[in-house]
Amino acid sequence: MTIDANLAQELRAIAGADAIVSRASELKVYECDGWTIEKSAPELLVMPHSTDEMSAVLRALHRRGIAFVPRGAGTGLSGGALPLAPVMICTSKMNRILSIDLTNRRVEVQSGVVNLHVTNAVKSNSYFYPPDPSSQMACTIGGNIAENSGGPHTLKYGVTTNHVLGIELVLTDGEVVALGGSVDDRCGYDLVGAVVGSEGTCGIVTAATLRLMREPEGHRTILATFANVEDATAAVSKIIASGMIPGAIEMMDRLILKAVEAAFHVGFSPDAGAVLIVEIDGLEVGLDERAAAAIDLMKACGVTEAKLARDEAERALLWKARKRAFGAVGRLAPNYATQDGVVPRTRLPDILRVINAVSERSGLAIGNVFHAGDGNIHPIVLYDEREPDQVRRAIEAGREILTACVEMGGSLTGEHGIGVEKMGEMPLLFAPDDLIAMTELRRVFDPDERSNPRKVIPTPGACVEVAAPRRQVPL
Amino acid sequence: MSIGTESATAPNEIERAAFETIVEPESVDEIAALVRKCEANHITLAPVGAARTLAQVRRTPVQIGISLRRMARIVAYEPDDMTVVTEPGISVGDLNATLAKSGQRLPVDPRDPDATAIGSLIAAAEAGPLRLSEGTVRDLLIGIQFVGHGGRVIRAGGRVVKNVAGYDLMKVMTGSFGTLGIVTEATFKVRPIPENYTLAVASFDDHDSAFTAASSLHDRIPLIHLEITSPRISATLGTPDRVLVLAGFAGIPSELKHQRELIAKILPAMHVLDDDRAMQLYRSLRDLDFTDGISARMAVLPNDLARCVRESSAEFIAHIGSGIAELFSTDSDPRIVTRWRSIAHTARGHLRVLSAPASIRSQIDFFDRPNAGAFKLMQRLKTTFDPRNVFNPGCFVGGL
Repeated sequence: MTIDANLAQELRAIAGADAIVSRASELKVYECDGWTIEKSAPELLVMPHSTDEMSAVLRALHRRGIAFVPRGAGTGLSGGALPLAPVMICTSKMNRILSIDLTNRRVEVQSGVVNLHVTNAVKSNSYFYPPDPSSQMACTIGGNIAENSGGPHTLKYGVTTNHVLGIELVLTDGEVVALGGSVDDRCGYDLVGAVVGSEGTCGIVTAATLRLMREPEGHRTILATFANVEDATAAVSKIIASGMIPGAIEMMDRLILKAVEAAFHVGFSPDAGAVLIVEIDGLEVGLDERAAAAIDLMKACGVTEAKLARDEAERALLWKARKRAFGAVGRLAPNYATQDGVVPRTRLPDILRVINAVSERSGLAIGNVFHAGDGNIHPIVLYDEREPDQVRRAIEAGREILTACVEMGGSLTGEHGIGVEKMGEMPLLFAPDDLIAMTELRRVFDPDERSNPRKVIPTPGACVEVAAPRRQVPL
Repeated sequence: MSIGTESATAPNEIERAAFETIVEPESVDEIAALVRKCEANHITLAPVGAARTLAQVRRTPVQIGISLRRMARIVAYEPDDMTVVTEPGISVGDLNATLAKSGQRLPVDPRDPDATAIGSLIAAAEAGPLRLSEGTVRDLLIGIQFVGHGGRVIRAGGRVVKNVAGYDLMKVMTGSFGTLGIVTEATFKVRPIPENYTLAVASFDDHDSAFTAASSLHDRIPLIHLEITSPRISATLGTPDRVLVLAGFAGIPSELKHQRELIAKILPAMHVLDDDRAMQLYRSLRDLDFTDGISARMAVLPNDLARCVRESSAEFIAHIGSGIAELFSTDSDPRIVTRWRSIAHTARGHLRVLSAPASIRSQIDFFDRPNAGAFKLMQRLKTTFDPRNVFNPGCFVGGL
């Protein structure tokens, strides 16, 4: 126990009894996020109601030199909210939308607001908040800022960092700073850009000013079926090369389709080797022509069937199938581990060959569901945790795929973050000087590394030994 | 590495104020060695682009201006990946000439792209009319290499369009005016060149009806760019000296026709230019230089732009939707800057002076001041990344 009764009492005085969880049985809920391999319950959980309370809480910890781990909804997939510090601070009670300013296309929210609630608050006026991670029904804006979250529609509309104009940040000593603001240009260094994607290591974001976008006038959502993934990826390249930027291009392979079909009855052909969901959006008047052009391009790549979603209900079903594909995979094997890697779009066929080879070598089935337009892959390795050798092979398979991504000029993670999961692989991508410079940047905000310690940048002795496959996906 | 100005043309007034000597390194290693030498001997240095941009701000020139014109290669370009890796010395214009062969472009349009090197584009976070539809450098820069303190060569980001591995040093370097290090390589997302660029132009007698019309256009149509120019600026574009609304749009023929009809409802007296005539006027708008006197860039809440611009009594180019305007005055009264700045502050904004007559430079702040909390972090960032204070010191926000 690193915290004393005195601290719990002080925090209770600051935030109220309803904001403190100290019973071990209740704290167990917070022992991990979506990366379930490692577990470590916090000693104390605090849920401040306001920025003032947050500031007072951090001051109290600062006086004692106690580190903390910030948490939004705990939907992160790389262990970013894994408690490696005694105190966890959760933003769940700071979930108010502070202002909606449609004429300026701005919305100001507390960081505990759920992603989807932002779009829900403005969609009747035809605006939306573009980043749409699969967990958007649960994940928070604060968590999105920490992870620089993406989603299927980021191909055209950008990720979190492209939509955050200003943040209110509480530094580890309790000081509240306003970074950025409400306007489009920055005054001085772009500190907002430095904090977005820093995985909670620069302090706790308590509020943010987000930029909204006007909804496109219309959509055409195409479900295109292919005999195999090679043809499907070739079609992706063709579409992109034509100068068309669809709202999204998503791919699912045979294994995933089987699981998704069993779960959602979308009507995927049983012979399909792969499907693409291609969503074209823009001015209504041009959509039929643009969709036809996309279908023509796919025909040249051997599409076996291409059909348009007839109405909003069909479109919604396709997206539900895609966004919940991970969960559906639970039907195929007792356990599965999802990877998040990126390759240059043109290397998609190559990385799929690697994944195939890895699957054969390891004797484990690997499914693929991914953001094809971005080159962001999510291979899902199926295994049975009761078989220690399968567990070992599953870990090895994940590593091999990630290493291949980096060798092809790609990255370790497109949207799930480094967290604790991939710290060990950071040296594949960055040289020691790069990592030192990144640490220096972090210390500008958090000189003692007390906000979310031992994450993102590997430090000697702090490398996490992965003893089990990467993670189970809850949704 | 060649040292001295023998290979360059004689320095002009701006260059004399910007740097004492030019060196022209050919490699990252040479820059790293130079940085180490400068740090050891307390010699200040900056890329010539960043030095020039801030030439008016500084009291004394940097001792060494680094010309990156020998580092102007495109390192890698894969059209199907829509990414390009480039050295910093190539101009935006030259880079875009290469990308255009594949129907693509880096959609950032600073004034005079042929004279704006990629390094300067990043250093000054330059942007033009296209920011409305394409964003700015910060949205497009996905990877960076720079030489930092101690001559360390640092990389961040990568070559893929979606990547969250590691801290986002790209954002920190963008708009840092060479004060944190020397950018030696940059990777960008590129975008397709939109089909059939078309420009609708309409003139108005009064300011308010032009802004009302433009705001209505912005609400209804996803335009490529949307500007309003004040009468004297309009005249320099070769149009009558009235308030001018310029709306760029693009698309396949059915979309063009539809947009044209929508625009005509809002701008009944518009002229529509296409092909070369549209491009010509767009270029004149983008390249407009009106620097006799004071010029400044104001960033405010989009919906307050009309009021702020009106209250400024300046000649202007207003970028509707972005809340950005360039303001111009032929007067040389430093109180103009104070007034413009306080107007920007009424709309949660800020103002950066772009140029001012020599006689008043010492009396004005070129950069607005960030709030105290943010500024403290900026000071820490500067001292962390530039502990010897040699990278273009003393002329960024708050004298950083």
